[in-house]
Amino acid sequence: MTSLQTKVFNALEQIVLEVIDTDTGKVKWVEGSSQWANDLFPHANAQQAFIINEETPFLFDFLTDARTIWHEDKNGKVRSGLWTEAINNGSELHLEAIAIKQEQHNILVITNQLENFTLQQKTKQLAREVLLSYDRLFLKNEYLHNRLLSILKNDPEQSNILPSIAKVIENAEFAVLIASSDFSTCIENSAALKFFQQKSLGSTQPSRPIDIIINLMKNQLPEYERILTTNSSWDGELCLILPPSTLKWLKIGLYPVKNKFNEVENWIIFANDISTIKHLVQRNEQLALQDMLTELPNRFSFWQTLEKHIISNQPFYLLYADINDFRQYNEFYGHDEGDKLLIELSKRINSVIKTSDFIARVGGDEFAIILSNIDNQTACKEAIAHIIDSINIPFKTKNSEQTNISLSIGAANYPDDAQSVEELMKFVDLSAYNGKKNKINSIQFYSQSMKDASHNLIQIERDLRQAIKNDEFELYLQPIIDIKTNVINKAEALIRWNHPENGLISPDQFIPIAEKSGLIIALGEWVISRTCQMAKELNLLGFDIKLSMNLSPSQVADSKLFSYLCSCIKKNKIDPSLLELEVTEGVLLDDYSIADKLLSNARSIGMSVSVDDFGTGYSSLSHLKKLPLDFLKIDRSFIKEIVTDDNDKAIVRAVIAMAHNLNLCVTAEGVETKEQLSFLVDNLCNSVQGYIFSRPIKLHHFIKLLNEQKLT
Amino acid sequence: MIQKKICLLGASSVGKTSLVKQYVEGIFSEKYLTTIGVKVDKKTISIENDEIQFMLWDMEGNDSYNVFQEKYLRGASAYIVIVDQTRTSSLTEGIDIHTLARQVTNCPALLAINKSDLPATWHIDNSENEHYKKLFDLQFSTSAKTGFNVEEMFLTLAKLLLRSEKNDITTN
Repeated sequence: MTSLQTKVFNALEQIVLEVIDTDTGKVKWVEGSSQWANDLFPHANAQQAFIINEETPFLFDFLTDARTIWHEDKNGKVRSGLWTEAINNGSELHLEAIAIKQEQHNILVITNQLENFTLQQKTKQLAREVLLSYDRLFLKNEYLHNRLLSILKNDPEQSNILPSIAKVIENAEFAVLIASSDFSTCIENSAALKFFQQKSLGSTQPSRPIDIIINLMKNQLPEYERILTTNSSWDGELCLILPPSTLKWLKIGLYPVKNKFNEVENWIIFANDISTIKHLVQRNEQLALQDMLTELPNRFSFWQTLEKHIISNQPFYLLYADINDFRQYNEFYGHDEGDKLLIELSKRINSVIKTSDFIARVGGDEFAIILSNIDNQTACKEAIAHIIDSINIPFKTKNSEQTNISLSIGAANYPDDAQSVEELMKFVDLSAYNGKKNKINSIQFYSQSMKDASHNLIQIERDLRQAIKNDEFELYLQPIIDIKTNVINKAEALIRWNHPENGLISPDQFIPIAEKSGLIIALGEWVISRTCQMAKELNLLGFDIKLSMNLSPSQVADSKLFSYLCSCIKKNKIDPSLLELEVTEGVLLDDYSIADKLLSNARSIGMSVSVDDFGTGYSSLSHLKKLPLDFLKIDRSFIKEIVTDDNDKAIVRAVIAMAHNLNLCVTAEGVETKEQLSFLVDNLCNSVQGYIFSRPIKLHHFIKLLNEQKLT
Repeated sequence: MIQKKICLLGASSVGKTSLVKQYVEGIFSEKYLTTIGVKVDKKTISIENDEIQFMLWDMEGNDSYNVFQEKYLRGASAYIVIVDQTRTSSLTEGIDIHTLARQVTNCPALLAINKSDLPATWHIDNSENEHYKKLFDLQFSTSAKTGFNVEEMFLTLAKLLLRSEKNDITTN
């Protein structure tokens, strides 16, 4: 080696050891000299070979990895990673070893990594302090949120609710506010009052903490309007500037507390001062613009980029992708798995968009994507198709379970749909929200009609809520006739809406909206209560008629449903065997264990259970055998062509035979003609329902029908 | 003297370095200083007539900045998964690490629920606790700050390792 080379090694803080015996770890000092190297190998002599032993345990262990390289014929190298070695004088060395095979030479290079170590420690220290702070913040908020929800939801009318809430929130270290639905009244803790205390108030500035927060959201959140009209929750960061001297970063959480009419009764609002965390983050520019979890650009970075795109005046599409049912995923698999899903998802999307495109994580489960230089929907759809293809591959949990997720994607074009950052965001947010109706992947391009439809939907929901309060519903009964006796032995209760302006509205039009908005629970309770009253009325008139009522998926999942049923039965003093529950095949398949529990409970008190629309889903025989059922109702679509279509004939025959084998009775729905009836009679169907006998009719008509039947 | 390699594993900021420092030097620092890479400390203890030297491999915590590296477990006589009872996420991360570690070694595994001097913020019922206990050979509630159970944990581990060493000798 030349003296220049020696100088280079010394400058690089490296020493080079040649390996004499790979098995024993015997090495010879070849190049480099410095005090740290002497401290590391105090007994080594530059002229003589020495053995790397357990005096330096990390390095000794690394020899195992090194041997795999040295024993190879071809050139190669392996690094040990950073380690810290305590030396005899009490100080520490930060080192890395590299094992090299080069042209039959086995070499071990040891580098003093003090500089790299210091840099890594500084960066990671900062990042980890931020992680820790967010982690603690999240835990505190989540715990208090759950406690408040349980108090506010369980006993909203109890007289001591205010003192218990005040007690719970007073101990919180951060600002907590419980506001009325319109934010007009509010209770807050001392931390909130102290936090938003202003030394000098301008006359136009609001002074109540709740007003300050609402004002901030209005000014800084394009989604604000949508959040309030749809009663959604939101959490994110806002910047509070109160002249002359206050600049604080707030992490705000806004959560609705809803009643059974899906109306907001209260808002829970958390405000955490995250200025210190922000300050920590801002010390590292990369972290300031990066989402900690997915390592994608964050909301702040996204806004900057979006503004730049608008300034450049080139057309682009903005996408807003929201994971459907992410909350359920988190609840089912845990937050940890939820985080993993977000990371994996962001990687997948990132891998299918162009390098000139931009993706950021802008909210909990929300991603914004800028598709640059695209000016038409066809090209945009193509890009979205790649995204959807990438997420259609199942995701794996740590237990190797495969899960599928879907996205609601909203899309808006610059400059055709909107020209400002705020408007674009508002539009894509609305589009994505509209796409959420289905649990499948959906794409919604922004349009005026979509905006109108959205308003229309909100209007129907509002009317529906009012209708429940105003008792605008009516229950109709459709007779079911027992084929053997040819008499009415049962009736299906069917809801109708008497809209004060629009007249009679069929359930197809409002049940899906009620289901989506959560109003179905209140509506379902009304149906149960009214059915019980009707059963009582019929019974008092001497008619032993069973009434069946339909349950929606949300009702089946409602843990309070069974106790509500029992209370109605008790109140009306009726025999439970006069009632029947109808569930669809879909409900049985989706929530098998929940449905099983409810239906078993219902049967244990004497009610019967039937499966509605049978044949349209994918019920398997094994499922049916396990479930507590009494009746199968063959869907009307099979009955319609039963006289002419051989397939339908075969299906219906098979269903009847299978049901009888399982000791289930069969009801055919939608029977309209004598030919259909005769086929069903011939094939031993147990009962029929349809226009051939009667449409759904009001109670007094039904009673009339029963009376007529009595006479014959 | 018998030498034993013990690895300290866990999420970042759970107190791995603090536990080692408390055990080896009997000191605790309030200031959090993140570990980079690996640091090996040694401590020799005597149990009756036997001397055992622990090589304590204090590893950089696992998080989004540093993934768990199974190779460091090579030759380990035992490992301790450390979790922070003020952060639920550290427990799930700890269990994940334990699962990964179990794929490469069957050596004794300990669970140290650290920061016992602070109020616990997680809410684990008895059945969950029993479940976690079953996953590990030993479980300790520790405080690197007060020193609570730190000596006891390492001493119990030393006895366990000595016992199995002697069993090995007799069976061999």
